[in-house]
Amino acid sequence: MKSKEREEMEKWIEGDESGREMLMRVRSVRPFLLPSPLDRVPLRVGNVLELVGPSPSAKTHILIHAAITSILPKHLGGFDRFVLFLDLDCRFDITRFSQLLIHRLTHHDPTLYNLCMARFLYARCSDTFEFLRTLKTLHCRLEKEKEVQGVSAHLLMIDSIGAFHWMDRASMFLSQRDNNRKKLFLQSVSEAVVQNIKKLLQVHPMLIIATKSVIFGNRYSTASNEVKGNVEERCTRNTQNFQYREYMPSVWQSFVTHRILVRSSDDHPVTCNYQHSSFYLLEWLLPRLSIVDKIVVNEVRT
Amino acid sequence: MAPLKSLEKEYPLIDSNFLSFCASHAILSVEDFLLHDLDTLIAFADNHSTSHRLKQGIDQLLSIIDALNPPLLNGLQLLEDAQRNKHVVSTGCEGIDTLLGGGLREGQLTELVGPSSSGKTQACLLSASTVAKHKSSVMYLDTGNSFSPQRIACFVGQSSGHVFDNQADHMLKKVLDRIICYSVFDIYQMFDVLHQLKINLRSEIVRSNQHVRLLIVDSISSLITPILGGSGPQGHALMISAGFLLKKLAHEHNIAVMVTNHVVSGEDGISKPALGESWKSVPHVRLFLSRDCGTNVYNISILKHPSMVCHLITKLLHRASGRAASYSMYS
Repeated sequence: MKSKEREEMEKWIEGDESGREMLMRVRSVRPFLLPSPLDRVPLRVGNVLELVGPSPSAKTHILIHAAITSILPKHLGGFDRFVLFLDLDCRFDITRFSQLLIHRLTHHDPTLYNLCMARFLYARCSDTFEFLRTLKTLHCRLEKEKEVQGVSAHLLMIDSIGAFHWMDRASMFLSQRDNNRKKLFLQSVSEAVVQNIKKLLQVHPMLIIATKSVIFGNRYSTASNEVKGNVEERCTRNTQNFQYREYMPSVWQSFVTHRILVRSSDDHPVTCNYQHSSFYLLEWLLPRLSIVDKIVVNEVRT
Repeated sequence: MAPLKSLEKEYPLIDSNFLSFCASHAILSVEDFLLHDLDTLIAFADNHSTSHRLKQGIDQLLSIIDALNPPLLNGLQLLEDAQRNKHVVSTGCEGIDTLLGGGLREGQLTELVGPSSSGKTQACLLSASTVAKHKSSVMYLDTGNSFSPQRIACFVGQSSGHVFDNQADHMLKKVLDRIICYSVFDIYQMFDVLHQLKINLRSEIVRSNQHVRLLIVDSISSLITPILGGSGPQGHALMISAGFLLKKLAHEHNIAVMVTNHVVSGEDGISKPALGESWKSVPHVRLFLSRDCGTNVYNISILKHPSMVCHLITKLLHRASGRAASYSMYS
């Protein structure tokens, strides 16, 4: 009798989980900080971060850095998870990724390098239906990977979300359902994409980072003077408020929780030290922060 | 992809009952199925008298879709493919090769932007002759009758040293044999040629013969600009799908693709590429070519590169034998 009471008491004291377990559990949903320049706002799984900017504006570069942070082990400042990269632009360069990873690994360690590379998962889609097909079947694939890798994914990257915009807008594909409702193909695609991602997030909580390129030029864009290559001229043009035209359907827009605008910077010190660097400006639009970050991309020397 | 009916024969689970169930939800093709919300469909199936079999049918469809997807690759597999299959192709032009770290890369789309007589076509011809000299095939889509066998002969002659003897003639013939030139005057013709190429490469007709390593479209902007404009999105859609087709060919068959884009004057008098904002996200590499007035000094700068820092890198490229000199050799 006494021993039974004792047992109950002990069980109660023991609790349901250890502090370590609880910390692990809470951590997985708590906000986490991505490396600079994404560290101004705490992001958590379930958030959808959109990186908007003309091409080139280092969008993919920022993605690669965030991906590397996720796959690196904890003692190197990483999250020890795997990452899923959906390449809709079809121009991801793995050698670049590998170079940057080696750069981040402080010392030469082939086993660690292989482990990290294996945690980076990649799929390329070259039209809307391929994209939808991938999203529809991603759940099973992630489950499989989770078993193999022993860790779960916590980042889903889409580069770039508007890649099929023009093709979808002109698409003659009309399903009967949409015909009745007079809905545009573009809209039904976006709805299906958002819906599939939402469902995926329910079973695999992940942070989503999607890039979106600016596909409409406007008078404020740097498109025209970029070709000039004339440094003096660039310097005189002050960085006006860059505007871009939204083209994604509203269902996607309301799905996005955070938005960052990146653009190449025209005014920077023209000195020899910066010969091999590119400059970009990064601005939080959602939530709106008044700080404009400047990022410098240097050539990796290997 | 196909209407669901076409799957009926192969997959017994997709029977007439399943088809009529799908049709009642306006799902007639695999595409319709992709756009449809899966959970609602399953919920409807639950209420059905044959719910078990219907759900099996849905699972069957999902596995068909899954089989269509290429597998998820991890970084190691990607890198292995890149190192084994995506080689660097020399353009034959030292300036461009050093700038790009060896040359064009197979699997990538490289774009040359520049005003007229900035050396775009010359770079194309030089690359074509260099690749053909190394015993690989070149597909050359010529949109403005600017392909010049004489120029190729000149490039081949220059590098072999002796211009007029038999051996050089023999070599030149071989080189020209390996450059397959198509005159293409509108974008639809280009699609025809590219689709045919895709079929040939898949059935290995071309590959068994010779490996196509380089595909050139000079100039792609002259095919696309006529269809842009107007209010409809069709022109842009064709442009973007041309980009995807080229990238797909490049990736799947390890071909380096090179296209040229001319320059037009913008609103404020500053020149800009003819294919503008939407096209910018298509190519892997964008190079800007220009020529200093009245000289044979060509400037090349990188506007965009997946693994190099852009903008301020500008290198001078001197061509010992300029265009005029080379032509006079043959006239």
